Amino acid sequence: MVKCYNSIIDVKLLSLRAVKGLWPALLGVGFFLIMGAASLAALLRYSELHSWLGYMQQPYLWRVVRFSLWQALLSSGISLLIAIPVASCLIHRQFYGRAALLQLFSVSMVVPTIVAILGLVVVYGRTGWLNQLFGVQIPLYGLVGILLAHVFFNMPLAVRLLLQGYDLIPSGQWRQASQLGFSRWTAFRWIEWHYMKKVLPGAFVLIFMLCFSSFAVVLSLGGGPKFSTLEVAIYQALRFDFDLDKASFLALLQVSICTLFAVIVYRVAPANRQDVSLLAVNSYVIRDSFWAKSADCLALFCAFVLVIPPFLAIFDPIFSPVFLKTLQSAALWNAVLISLQIALPAALVSLLLGVSFGVLARFCMARPYLALLPNKIEHLGNMILMVPGLVIATGLFLSLRDLGWGLQSSYWIVVWVNAVMALPFVLRALMPVMYQQEQRFRHVYLSLGIQSWSRWCLEWSMIRTSVAQALGYALLLSLGDMGVIALFGSQGLVSLPLYLFQLIGSYQLEEGACVAVVLISLCLILFYCSSRFIGGVTARVKH
Amino acid sequence: MKSFSLTSLFSAAALSIGVAISPVAMAVDTLNVYTYDAFASDWGPGPKIKANFEKECGCEVNFVALDSSVGILSRAQLEGKSSQADVLLGLDLNLMEAAKQTGLLVDHAVDTSAVTISGGWTDKVFVPFDQGHFAFIYNSETLKNPPTSLKDVVDNQNLRVIYQDPRTSTPGLGLLLWMKSVYGDNVADAWERLASHTVTVTKGWSDAYGLFLKGEADVVLSYTTSPAYHIVAEGENKYVAANASEGLYPQIEVAAMMKGAPHPALAKQFMQFILQPGFQSTVATGNWMLPVVKLDEKLPAAFDSALKPTKNLVLPAKDVAKHRKAWIDEWLNATTR
Repeated sequence: MVKCYNSIIDVKLLSLRAVKGLWPALLGVGFFLIMGAASLAALLRYSELHSWLGYMQQPYLWRVVRFSLWQALLSSGISLLIAIPVASCLIHRQFYGRAALLQLFSVSMVVPTIVAILGLVVVYGRTGWLNQLFGVQIPLYGLVGILLAHVFFNMPLAVRLLLQGYDLIPSGQWRQASQLGFSRWTAFRWIEWHYMKKVLPGAFVLIFMLCFSSFAVVLSLGGGPKFSTLEVAIYQALRFDFDLDKASFLALLQVSICTLFAVIVYRVAPANRQDVSLLAVNSYVIRDSFWAKSADCLALFCAFVLVIPPFLAIFDPIFSPVFLKTLQSAALWNAVLISLQIALPAALVSLLLGVSFGVLARFCMARPYLALLPNKIEHLGNMILMVPGLVIATGLFLSLRDLGWGLQSSYWIVVWVNAVMALPFVLRALMPVMYQQEQRFRHVYLSLGIQSWSRWCLEWSMIRTSVAQALGYALLLSLGDMGVIALFGSQGLVSLPLYLFQLIGSYQLEEGACVAVVLISLCLILFYCSSRFIGGVTARVKH
Repeated sequence: MKSFSLTSLFSAAALSIGVAISPVAMAVDTLNVYTYDAFASDWGPGPKIKANFEKECGCEVNFVALDSSVGILSRAQLEGKSSQADVLLGLDLNLMEAAKQTGLLVDHAVDTSAVTISGGWTDKVFVPFDQGHFAFIYNSETLKNPPTSLKDVVDNQNLRVIYQDPRTSTPGLGLLLWMKSVYGDNVADAWERLASHTVTVTKGWSDAYGLFLKGEADVVLSYTTSPAYHIVAEGENKYVAANASEGLYPQIEVAAMMKGAPHPALAKQFMQFILQPGFQSTVATGNWMLPVVKLDEKLPAAFDSALKPTKNLVLPAKDVAKHRKAWIDEWLNATTR
């Protein structure tokens, strides 16, 4: 009876104010869908389905798929395995350089692949530091190299995603744990793990997809065509053969595999129940022990060894005289400006899309007849990561051409595709806290009739940390983008990564390395500004 | 107005961004040249060519820089008939046939008799603008017994080799054809022998050359003109192109005019200009390739010492276009065995 009554109320609410307040979000998601569908339709119009059977019978294709699955599973698994103890350690311990480490962790994924590869080579290569200092040489080319690179890119990302899970732990639980004298392990087992479980499946799927579609890393460090990914085949089909038919087949295959993987992970993972909990306010000390200390040291050591040396190698050019010379070139600062002109609007659009998705998902969450939707909506946003950027961009290009819109407006296409590509990261940062707010305060807001703008004002102080993180990621990803802008290139649209590739592409490796330092520093500054000025004080204390 | 929440403003902004995608009017006398990024960069030949041509034509040259030579063609294909491109500059020998088949290009009517490419130049659609040969580069300070033939590179199991993937890069495709023209039907075995001492196969030239400079390999696939860069720009003499007694495979970069060029007269004038000194004198130290006509002005000494092929191996463009996929599969099967 009660249930029935509830749903009557819900239906009423749905039909009245609720939907009215929802239209902006619907518009955002709808726009995303239309653009996506248009790109897909444009590509599919050039495909011949009967030829797809032929592609399926190529043994090399399935070998590539098998290897991609295997390396992506390993890469994401190892990244998470290391990230879990590192995240726990970073929450419980304060040490000198902790804040800097967290900042560094936020930018690892935007290091241009070629720069990261050369950085890894400086550390682990034949004449690398490892060999010079310890006389150890690891077989870099092959699975080892691929894993090293993927862990370098993704382990820090995993740590940041897990830390978002920690943000959801209410301070009351920490207080109790502290009062009951929990050891670190007990606290992990009974508190932390419970919240980590909420973010782990999402993080796993995200990193899996990043590794599955990794391209230059797999080719360069794979040691030969034995190790390859579908992305290579897509690039080949789209660029060398201009075979839109094959490209859309491969893109769909990639989407299907990743979707299947995501479905399996979410099926196996425990149901993601949202808690009615307050955000953490102050921290309580958990009892320390020798074992806890050792475990933390080991975790930090792993993180340090895998992430810091390549970064040192990347930042090495600061000390060369070329660095000053590079800083003085006008072209560099022009590229910085262009990059900002692309990244700022792209990040804003991405954030708006993310908020639209979030608002829509949580609207559905509390309504029994729509309860299935939130996950679907979130997955819709994530799907974009499974489709290669090149394919999205090409599809968009074709659909715009068919509409007769001029192709000189590539600036907005670049902004849009970048925004869309950053969406999965924005969603990962925004969704947990938006769900939590909804669970906790929905009834209060409903009974007081607070909605839309007023509700945002009230919520702002609670969600600003996550908004800052979302915006930070979107900024970084758009700043580091290479593929999209390269396809739509035009005079005057030379972003920082593009400038870097121009330099490296014409023998100027050292100058390129210096530009990479500028790029990474810019990312660090922007991420810091985003968390400082948008995230506010809480963000500074916690991260 | 309550329902006009922040999100509504946001979404409206998102929408207006979508609407803002609209054509931008072009100046009438602007010649659009699609090229690859390094060519149009500040240190590439692009800016000088732009200045030299603008003096003659009284127009403006607009370089649209794409990510690679393949990128130029696929951009033109994507745009199709609605393309704003007048000239495509920077395709290579092995893309010519594919580019012709798009039907987007038109004959150039340029007199190419002055072209110094071995075997002459008779193509009606493409005008060559620079040339060189693929070669393996080594560090003469660390490699004491450099290879003297392609067979040496393939068979010397102690030689650590890096080359580029023929599926994603033009030098990679160049090696594929070089190997094919030397080994013919036995190429699969040769690939297999090479694979056993290949360090890695990279996505593009930059990755491969970068790894080589970091000391990861003894030889890397590049161009005969690569050492000239190190000599002229860095004063570094240790990088040398290895000779190949079987002959070298050429890399010739070409330009063509679009059938639907918005400024056909300017495009024609530019095609003529390609073989003039105003263009040709910029390619050596700008693009690190050799000019295709004889110039009065002498090239830097480093180019004189550049490796000259004993024999120019080149497979007919038609055959390349026809068999490229099969040859790539042959390479894949042999190297993943």
